[in-house]
Amino acid sequence: MVVRIGFLSIAHLHAHSYGRAINGLTGCRLVGIYDPDQERGMQGAKEMGTEYFADPAELLSQTDAVIICSENSRHREFTELAAKHGCHVLCEKPIATTLEDARAMIDACARAGVKLQIAFPVRFVTPVLRVKEMLDSGAVGKVLAIVGTNQGQMPGGWFADPELAGGGAVMDHTVHVVDLIRWFLGKEFVSVYAEVDNMLWDTGIDDCGMLSMELEDGTIVTQDPSWSRPMTFPTWGNVTMRIIGTQGMIDLDAFAQNFVVYDDAHRKVSERSFAEDMDLGLIQDFIQMIVEDREPTITGYDGLKALEVALAAYRSAQEKKPVALG
Amino acid sequence: MIRVGVVGYGTIGQVHCEALQEVPGCQLVAVADVDPEARARAQRDYGVVAAESMEAMLDAAEVDLIDICVPTHLHEAMMVQAMEADKHIFCEKPLARSLEEGRRLVELAKGYRKKIGIGHVVRFTPAYRGIRRSVEQGEVGRIGVVRTFRGGSQFPEGWQDWFANFNLSGGVILDLMIHDLDYCRWLFGDVERVYAKSTCGRTEVRLEHAMAVLRFKSGVIAHLEASWTNYPGQFYTAVEVAGKDGLITFDSRKSSPLAAMTVPGVSAQAGAVAANPYALELQDMVEAITEDRQPLVTVEDAFGALEIALAAVESARTGRVVEI
Ligand SMILES: NC(=O)c1ccc[n+]([C@@H]2O[C@H](COP(=O)([O-])OP(=O)(O)OC[C@H]3O[C@@H](n4cnc5c(N)ncnc54)[C@H](O)[C@@H]3O)[C@@H](O)[C@H]2O)c1
Repeated sequence: MVVRIGFLSIAHLHAHSYGRAINGLTGCRLVGIYDPDQERGMQGAKEMGTEYFADPAELLSQTDAVIICSENSRHREFTELAAKHGCHVLCEKPIATTLEDARAMIDACARAGVKLQIAFPVRFVTPVLRVKEMLDSGAVGKVLAIVGTNQGQMPGGWFADPELAGGGAVMDHTVHVVDLIRWFLGKEFVSVYAEVDNMLWDTGIDDCGMLSMELEDGTIVTQDPSWSRPMTFPTWGNVTMRIIGTQGMIDLDAFAQNFVVYDDAHRKVSERSFAEDMDLGLIQDFIQMIVEDREPTITGYDGLKALEVALAAYRSAQEKKPVALG
Repeated sequence: MIRVGVVGYGTIGQVHCEALQEVPGCQLVAVADVDPEARARAQRDYGVVAAESMEAMLDAAEVDLIDICVPTHLHEAMMVQAMEADKHIFCEKPLARSLEEGRRLVELAKGYRKKIGIGHVVRFTPAYRGIRRSVEQGEVGRIGVVRTFRGGSQFPEGWQDWFANFNLSGGVILDLMIHDLDYCRWLFGDVERVYAKSTCGRTEVRLEHAMAVLRFKSGVIAHLEASWTNYPGQFYTAVEVAGKDGLITFDSRKSSPLAAMTVPGVSAQAGAVAANPYALELQDMVEAITEDRQPLVTVEDAFGALEIALAAVESARTGRVVEI
């Protein structure tokens, strides 16, 4: 079986990396791209060596599955559209910008009998997989505290538009670490406190954040989602986690497998990864899910629970007190 | 010549005595410690008077400056006693164990004629001084988010295991995080509110890991992390300051100019070789006396840090936000 895949919007740059992954794999085929922005869609189609579709219904009639890389607030309409056409969905994170939309997406896919997977590719980073194995084998005993960061440069574009993105740094960078922790420990977040502000970039959207949280088993967690890496930073950002257990500690720096290039011509220092491609892992897993007809590795519910934490952070910052999660 | 008497010849008392050897204009003349072994050590190391109490030390030697290096819960009583003896005082951080003790010291210090300095040594650490200069000069613009880390080494062993008794030490927040609390306050001013978490009370294991989120009146958001481990780890500190125009980062593990491996056996040494901050803080104290000025860290400064530390301790205990 060759799984036929299409893109519903490539507004999110990750689309290009997913496209490369699809093109590099056997067992799947990139059918085409629909994008409401025709120019962007056609340009993307050219770069990925595929076709542009002006009508999403036409694309969906030729695909088994779609990847939704639209702006966050449009995930719902595209997911519902895909479900209506019986296509499985891989949706970029965060699942949506409201819990209502997230629930509607989960329901729509369930009703249509299609699978909904959320793109948390960090779960497929090799050192992250190692951490999962170590925790499962009890290598550091019972986990007591986790200190996480997902700091980055300011992504710009629609990411800084509250209507389209649903929020700034906190919306963009909270969900990865929250998802990893839920997956690592199988525990839910029960309280969220946050300081959130716009102090670093002239965008009017939050770029500084600090979250302090608790899991149902009393594990304490902090997470820094700030867009606090300057333009001169040698890489886009990081995902780090310090995990303190009763029997030891793990320091994870998920994207630290780099060499450094000092480039005089462009007056730029940059870190280049030599790690395995996490997006390849994500796409491979998505294809496998369809072929084997199994449950998604990362479900819509996972996406919803991560979004819940990000939204609670905004509420906490407004109320200046911790917010309890059901 | 300022004659110095060090009270408490434990971990930090020994560091002070050694540092004093580098400080011009002063001389170590006496040590006091309740522990006979510590007294014997002091005598052997420096050949000075080693008394069993501060009182006995003052009887046995002429002292101008009393350097208090006893466990935290004894700071207040010792400082009061030293003030009664009308001496210049240098006292290790934290200022005191409780807010009440701290307030009393602030009151007493107001009318006091001699100098009092508190050992917030991070303000004398070359790297941290340099970072402050960069921030003050506006090199990275208006500051938004700050992170600090301090710890990584094993839960400290002290006299009668006083560190493990929360009522005496105040745990990792009051003992260790307070360094960065003072430093951040020095750079970013007053704190508006604190929300903190700690493993204290959540495990029986001999470790403590704490994380505090601070909001400064200036708007700065800070995340401070301090840790005592239950495995033999390496002590390190890190700080990063993100501003509108850039980012400053420091990690003590990455700025060690020396490493040596020797045969036989395997031994490695690495670490910064910049000026000794303990000597610098004591030099500032000695100069404050001779120049008749305030030392860099006053009782009021130290009270400011104490207030935030105890607010963090309370927040961690109650789960609530504490306004300062
Ligand atoms: N600035 C720093 O980097 C730093 C580092 C370590 C400790 N400290 C601070 O220094 C203080 C001491 O810590 P430490 O690690 O040296 O503790 P420690 O337990 O190693 O030493 C304390 C010493 O005080 C002695 N002592 C106890 N009661 C006494 C009394 N009534 N009179 C005289 N001596 C007495 C003990 O016998 C012991 O030798 C604490 O407040 C701690 O927070 C600061």
